[in-house]
Amino acid sequence: MNDAASVDAAPAARKWSRRFAALGQFGISLLPGIVLLVFWQWASGRLIKEIYVSKPTAIAARLYELFASGEIIPHLITTGQELVLGYVIGVAGGVIGGYALGRSPRLARIFEPYVMAFYGIPKIALAPLFIIWFGIGIGSKVALASIMVFFLVFYNVFSGVRSVDRELVNLTLVMGANQRQLTWHVYLPAASPYIILGMRMAIPYSVIGVIVGEFTSSIQGLGLFIHEASSTYDPAGVFAGIILLLGFVLIANFLAGRLERRLLRWKNPTTQPPSDI
Amino acid sequence: MTGQVLAFDGIGQDFATPGSGGRIRVLDGISFDAEPGQFVAVIGPSGCGKSTLLQMAAGLLMPTRGNVKHHGRTIDSVNQAVGFVPQQAQLFPWKTLQENVELPLVLRSVPAEQRRAQVAKAIEAVGLKGFENYYPNQLSGGMQKRGSIARTLVYRPDVILMDEPFGALDAQTRMVMQNDLQTLSAEAGATVIFVTHDITEAVVLADRVVILSQRPSRLLANIAIDLPRPRDVFEPFKNPGFEQAYDAVWSVFRSQIDIRGAH
Ligand SMILES: Nc1ncnc2c1ncn2[C@@H]1O[C@H](COP(=O)(O)OP(=O)(O)O)[C@@H](O)[C@H]1O
Ligand SMILES: [Mg+2]
Repeated sequence: MNDAASVDAAPAARKWSRRFAALGQFGISLLPGIVLLVFWQWASGRLIKEIYVSKPTAIAARLYELFASGEIIPHLITTGQELVLGYVIGVAGGVIGGYALGRSPRLARIFEPYVMAFYGIPKIALAPLFIIWFGIGIGSKVALASIMVFFLVFYNVFSGVRSVDRELVNLTLVMGANQRQLTWHVYLPAASPYIILGMRMAIPYSVIGVIVGEFTSSIQGLGLFIHEASSTYDPAGVFAGIILLLGFVLIANFLAGRLERRLLRWKNPTTQPPSDI
Repeated sequence: MTGQVLAFDGIGQDFATPGSGGRIRVLDGISFDAEPGQFVAVIGPSGCGKSTLLQMAAGLLMPTRGNVKHHGRTIDSVNQAVGFVPQQAQLFPWKTLQENVELPLVLRSVPAEQRRAQVAKAIEAVGLKGFENYYPNQLSGGMQKRGSIARTLVYRPDVILMDEPFGALDAQTRMVMQNDLQTLSAEAGATVIFVTHDITEAVVLADRVVILSQRPSRLLANIAIDLPRPRDVFEPFKNPGFEQAYDAVWSVFRSQIDIRGAH
C-alpha cells in the first residue's frame, strides 16, 4: 500500500498526446456547425428567400455595424444587468428557501404545498402583472427572471438537503458537531451537486424571463432590440440579437462549469481505486 | 473491578409499526456492562435490535424503558464522548482522507498544529500513510473502512461502538482488519462494543460475548472468553481453548437459528 506516488504520476508525453486527442475531438465537433453555416449561406436566396432567414455573412456584418456604431451597447448593458440581478436574487432566494425547508420538516409541511402550487403556474404568464407592479424598467424583468430561477434552484436544493444520509448526520453529531458545523461540513457539501444542477438549469430560464419581460414592455434591452428588428423585417438584426443572447448563455455556462469543477472536485476521481490491502 | 465505563440497565425499546398504528417490542429488558478497556461483542439474529442498542449508547435514541450510563452519567442527549464506526465506512465523499480524519478535531476546536500531529498518527496507525490526499471514491472498500476507524481513533474516545464494521468486506480483507483492530484497540486502551452476527469473529476478538435472542430480544447469555492474547484471527481454531469458547457461545446461539432456514 505504499505506492501512492506511482499511482499519481502521469508521464508528460501521455499528457501531450491526450491534449492532441482533445484538440482533434474539438475539431470534429466543430464540423457539423461549419456545414450548417455553409449550407445556410448557400441556401439563402436560392432555396429560401433571404428576407426570411438572412445569411451568415449578413449577420456578421450587422453585428460588426452594431458594435462599431455603439448602437447595441445600451441594450447589452440593460439586459446584462437584468440577467445578473435576476439570476443572483433567484439563486440566493432558492438556496436559502430550499435549505430552510429542507432542514425543517415543520416549515416544509406548512410551505411545501404552496411552493408546489406556485411551481405549477407558468411563470411567463406573470409578465404582464409584473409590468404593472414593477414598471417597464429593469425591475419587472429582474423579478420575472428571479422567480423563474428561484423555483428551479429552490426545488433542487430542497430535495438535495432532504436526501442527506441520516446516518452520516448522526455520525457527525457523535463526532462532536453542533448545528452550525453540521450545515458547513455536511448539509451544504452534500447538497452542492443539487445546488449546482439547479444553478445550471436556471441559466436559460433567467434569459427566458428577461426576454419575455422585454418583449412584453420595455424601454431598452436585447429583447426590445430583437422585437424591433422583427417588426421592421430585419432578419439579420433578429439573428444578431439572438447570437448576443447566446453569448450571455455561453459565458454563464462557462462560469458555472468552472464553479462546478471547483466545488465538485470530489465527484470526478482522477485516479482509479487501488486494489485492496 | 475498576467499575463500569458503559452500563446498559434494563433496556426496553418499542417501535411504532408503520401503517397499522401498533407497537412492536424490539428489546425487552437488556442489562450488561463493560469495564475499562474491555472488548464486548454483541451477537444476535438479524433484526433483534443490536443496532438499536448502539444508537442508545451514542445518545441518538432514548430507550422506552431503562437507561444507558456512561461513567455513571445517564445518557440523555447525543453522546459526543464515544466513537462510532458504522457498517458502511461513511467517509465524507467531499473531503480527502486527511480532511475526513481531521474533522472530529476541527469540530472540537483542537489547535491546527496538534491536529496535524494527531491526524498523521491515526492515518499511520491504520496503514494509510501516503493516501492523505485521496478522496474516498479513490479508495478501496477496505481502505475506506480503515479511514473510518482512523477518524474514530483520532479523538481518542474511551468507548468505541462498532456496528458490524467488517460485514461488507471480503473474507481476506476482513481477517486483516480483525487482526489490526485487535492491535489498535489494545493500544488505544478503549472499551469496544462490537456488534456482529459472526460467532467466530465475536469469539476471536472479544473478552465477553453478549448473546441476544430473537425479537422481542432478551439477553440469553454473557460469556467471558478467557483466551490468551494476542490471538490468531487467521486460523481461529488454532488458538488454545478456542473450540471450547466457541462451543459455549454456539450452544446458546443455535436455539435462535431457524434450522429449517425459512427466511
Ligand atoms: N426508528 C425505527 N422505527 C421503527 N422500527 C425500527 C426503528 N429502528 C429499528 N426498528 C426495528 O427494530 C428492529 C431491530 O432493528 P436493528 O436494531 O436495526 O436490528 P439489528 O441491528 O439487530 O439487525 C427491526 O425490526 C427494525 O425494523
Ligand atoms: Mg444492525
